Amino acid sequence: MKFGNLLIAGVVTGSIYAVFAVCIAVWYRVSNILNLAVGDFAMVGALGVDYLFRVDSWPLPAAIATTLAIVGAFAYGYDQVVLRLAQDGRRRQEGIVITFFFTFALSFFIDGVAKILFGTDVHAAPGLWNGNSLTFATGLHLERAGLLVLGCALISGLMFAIYIRYTLSGKAMEACGENNLGARIVGIDTRQYRRIIFVGTAMLAAVFGIVESPITGYTFLSGATISVTGFIAAAYGGFQKPGRALVAGIAIGILEALLGGYVSTQYADTLMYGILAALVLARPRAMGFESAVGG
Amino acid sequence: MVTSKVTPAAGVRARPARSRSLRGPLGTSGLVVAAGLIVMSFYAAQYIGSVVLLAFTYAIVTAGMAVQIGFSQQIAFSQSVFMGLGAYGVAVLNTNLNMPSLLAALAVTVASGLVALVLGSVVTRASGLALAVATIMLPLIAVGYLSSAGYLGGSVGMPLTGSLWPASSPQAMAVGNGMITVAVIGVVVFVASRILSSDIGLELYVLGVDERMAAAMGVSTPRRKLELFVLGSMFAALGGAVYAGTQLFVPATLVDPTAELSLLMMLFIGGRRSILGAVAGALIIEYVSGASTWVSVNILVVEGVLITVVLLVDPEGLAGIVSSLAARLRRARRAGGAAADGGPAPACTGHASAGTGSAVAGVTPEEVAAADRRTSAFGRSWQARAGGRAGAPLLECTGVTKDYGGLRVLDSIGLSLPARGLFGLCGPNGAGKTTLLGVIGGSVPPVAGRVLLDGADITRLPPQQRFHLGVSRTFQAVHLIAGRSVLDNVAVSCLSSHRSSLAAGIVRSRLAQARDKAAEALDYLGMGRLSGMEVSTLTLENQRMVEFARAIAARPRLLLLDEPASGLSEPQRERLKEVLRTVGDMTCVLLVEHDLGLVAQITERIFVLASGQLVFEGSPEEFRNSAVVSSLLVGL
Amino acid sequence: MTAPAPLPAPPPAPTAPPALSVRGMSVAYGPVVAVHDATFTIAEGEAVAITGPNGNGKSSILMGIAGLTARRGDVEIFGKPAPPRDVMWTARRGLTLVPERRQLYPKLSAADNIILGCYSWTRSIAKARKSGAYAFALELFPDLQPHLAQAAGTLSGGQQQMVAIARGLASKPRILAVDEPCLGLAEAVSKRVYQALSRVHAEGTTLIVVEEAPKRALQICTRRVEVRNGIAS
Repeated sequence: MKFGNLLIAGVVTGSIYAVFAVCIAVWYRVSNILNLAVGDFAMVGALGVDYLFRVDSWPLPAAIATTLAIVGAFAYGYDQVVLRLAQDGRRRQEGIVITFFFTFALSFFIDGVAKILFGTDVHAAPGLWNGNSLTFATGLHLERAGLLVLGCALISGLMFAIYIRYTLSGKAMEACGENNLGARIVGIDTRQYRRIIFVGTAMLAAVFGIVESPITGYTFLSGATISVTGFIAAAYGGFQKPGRALVAGIAIGILEALLGGYVSTQYADTLMYGILAALVLARPRAMGFESAVGG
Repeated sequence: MVTSKVTPAAGVRARPARSRSLRGPLGTSGLVVAAGLIVMSFYAAQYIGSVVLLAFTYAIVTAGMAVQIGFSQQIAFSQSVFMGLGAYGVAVLNTNLNMPSLLAALAVTVASGLVALVLGSVVTRASGLALAVATIMLPLIAVGYLSSAGYLGGSVGMPLTGSLWPASSPQAMAVGNGMITVAVIGVVVFVASRILSSDIGLELYVLGVDERMAAAMGVSTPRRKLELFVLGSMFAALGGAVYAGTQLFVPATLVDPTAELSLLMMLFIGGRRSILGAVAGALIIEYVSGASTWVSVNILVVEGVLITVVLLVDPEGLAGIVSSLAARLRRARRAGGAAADGGPAPACTGHASAGTGSAVAGVTPEEVAAADRRTSAFGRSWQARAGGRAGAPLLECTGVTKDYGGLRVLDSIGLSLPARGLFGLCGPNGAGKTTLLGVIGGSVPPVAGRVLLDGADITRLPPQQRFHLGVSRTFQAVHLIAGRSVLDNVAVSCLSSHRSSLAAGIVRSRLAQARDKAAEALDYLGMGRLSGMEVSTLTLENQRMVEFARAIAARPRLLLLDEPASGLSEPQRERLKEVLRTVGDMTCVLLVEHDLGLVAQITERIFVLASGQLVFEGSPEEFRNSAVVSSLLVGL
Repeated sequence: MTAPAPLPAPPPAPTAPPALSVRGMSVAYGPVVAVHDATFTIAEGEAVAITGPNGNGKSSILMGIAGLTARRGDVEIFGKPAPPRDVMWTARRGLTLVPERRQLYPKLSAADNIILGCYSWTRSIAKARKSGAYAFALELFPDLQPHLAQAAGTLSGGQQQMVAIARGLASKPRILAVDEPCLGLAEAVSKRVYQALSRVHAEGTTLIVVEEAPKRALQICTRRVEVRNGIAS
């Protein structure tokens, strides 16, 4: 059942794009910054665990915990130093500079450090749930790692949705994204939410890197491609609507898988980007872009 | 007692608050060319020569990016692709067709212009982030294509046989290539600087800051966006061609997304709005990446840290840092000079100057009264221009209907206004007044009905064309361009460059004339003293008056004002009434206002909208006595 | 200081700290000084109107007090000195600002907008929903009842103003500062807004209203602070 298996593979990768796209969209609403380093955090998660476990022979749980802690600490530090200076200082920066460039630079930086630490080869975190791939009756296969990815995506998605809708803190986070000044007036610490989301996003990305890397393998540059795809998926929600970003992410994953399976692995990516570009141009409104971004 | 700022004496035209560059375009390019010639004459074959050569090659690309991305805020990620197009184009023509590289470079640049025209007409339909997203896929598509295109060298690259300056000895070749590159960058810098400092440059600036406002002021936004895309792409292709001809090898990594990012880094480190900054940025990055082995291996880390630090210090990059330092030096020198004169800076006349913004930057009622409007040249030329066909109405709306979602915001509205006079449009909130202004102004397309200006059907015309036909409007929120002077803000609506192409900005600039017209309009309102001030330092009232000045500077035949009195105090409203009365003698003014007293006092006819329908139309007398009106709106 | 309206305001007990005490406050935006050396005191339970021509510093005074912009000088709320740029501190201390132009959350429902007012004193949504403050806020504006689930951005100007005031009330303020409550509103709606404010004051909340047109404000305010050129008198 080729179509079915491609679909499953597409949904698995798509769910990662979706998670990253939602992370980008949610953070953009609150901070007006596009986190283009999401994929790089994922890469660090994967390669970090691999390094500690394989090269330094740490026990796996310790390797995972340490890597996540380091990612979280680094993200926290970046917010405290760079983002605070850029956004909370007396001369608050706005416009395309801060929207893109700080996280571009962060992405470069992380990739460069990863290159030094982990070298240029392909690595992957060890599979967390080893065994044969699960087979369904009609010839559908699902790798265990893939199931793990889907499970993580669903759980994190569900938790986030509950948080946003049913807790006051979640609504406060939404408020930060809707109107920064209005949020501060009722006592919401918007800077703290910005920080929380950034650190949370980084650690979540690292988790997904750990879980997904056994399927594909990562190099120090893999993060960049994932970031771009997450960015494109988030774009389909105009960067403001996490729901659409989620759907877009999955759709892109499926598209990629189908093109690779039916057309040709060589030109799959090229075609995919061509189609995506055409979609954005054909109906920019439908894609969720309301007005031009100034600044 | 706080000493007030130094203000220029009335009548003295102050320099625009942010002068763009210290030297003109000729000076800028001269500087680059001179430096380049020195390096190439002596060091062409050595290491520093090759670094500078490579940097200048990239600078050709970044200069175009400065115009397109930095200045006009059209974020497009397409330069590396066009650079690749130029480079691979020259390589193919040179290697396979034995064309001399120099000729190939020219051919490829022209061809890429055509490609950009076709691609751009599709891509620039999007704006802002949509544009960014649409173009970010271009490098990805290109990389995918290249890796499987064998004839282009696959994922390695393609060599060339002939360099730009064919010569026998490597020394001569290096010098020749260097000179050609310097010449090219010199021309590029000159062209780019000319465009930015021309009147078209002001159009581009406004386009970048607020596309919708630019359209309302007559800027042909679709055309400019396309022209910018073509310009950026052609410069990129030219840079690629020079790259191929001087490096004699086109690596596939030239088209990488990381290559695109590197180009952007160069631009933003140097200064996104500055041509000189674009060149400097390229030089810095190239120099740094070759400076030591450690750096070139870890270039990613270095670049990441470098750009973060530079942007934290100043988002305008090094150019911003340099110009802030220069401004600080100038201020220090001037303060020292003022102290030498003895005494504090002269306080202004007028209200008790407690050093508040309004006292310093405001204009006094005496000045306004003194501005003799009736006999000024501006007034006379406006009177001549305004007006329509005798006896016929200037503006006619028939059956105008607009729906938003399921809500009928305007329901078959019909009104008619003559060529001169003041008319009021009132109604409770949400009645559709601003929407109606939008329909007349062109930003809101109605689902039914017609709008006729002087007999001509303008219903389907975009805002730019209505502007040219004499329709001008203000908005509820103030939409001025921060960082520019009052004079420049008003000059936006006085530009005569709208129909010229971008290239015309290289040849001539009528910015001075536009500024003069703007100054006339400001004097007409008695606001000449403010012309040099930067707009975000003004009070709300003065900002509104600047917007008003901008709207009338084009001497419109139909002036649409959206709540001009909102946020103004009593004496300020008196002043506004006085100005409006004079203006109403010259042209047709439709005024949306909540201050019913004001409306009743100055208008000759009042229209009342409620829930999308026209419920009243009549004179102020009838308005006061109408039962319908007093049930809707209380407070006369 | 004039008191044109005959509404009596019981003078506070002499030993209780004033609700708001401002001494030598100045607010500057870059080179432009908007408020210069403002000094005044507001006792608990008073209703004070801050009036004066626009562009002369009224809003800046409120923003400086609430902590939304940098300021110099001393501000004390119920006796405790307020740190200069800390909106959360002032909100928790009991001063809530209903800002100019409302500043609502357009895509959240009206009810969500209002309940977020409770953020300054609780993080539990259940407690917020059951609280007296939330109930009072809703009760004050019966016109909003049918629109509570509607996205705030789609409401009319008057309804948005009501949501903004309700949100302010949900935070259990001891001092409610309202900046230009009737900006852009038609007369009939403005009257309703002022009726609500008057009721809020009657319940014991100290009220500060910034208004350009003193007529309306003085119907419910007992005192008036006139601001001209940034100087309060």
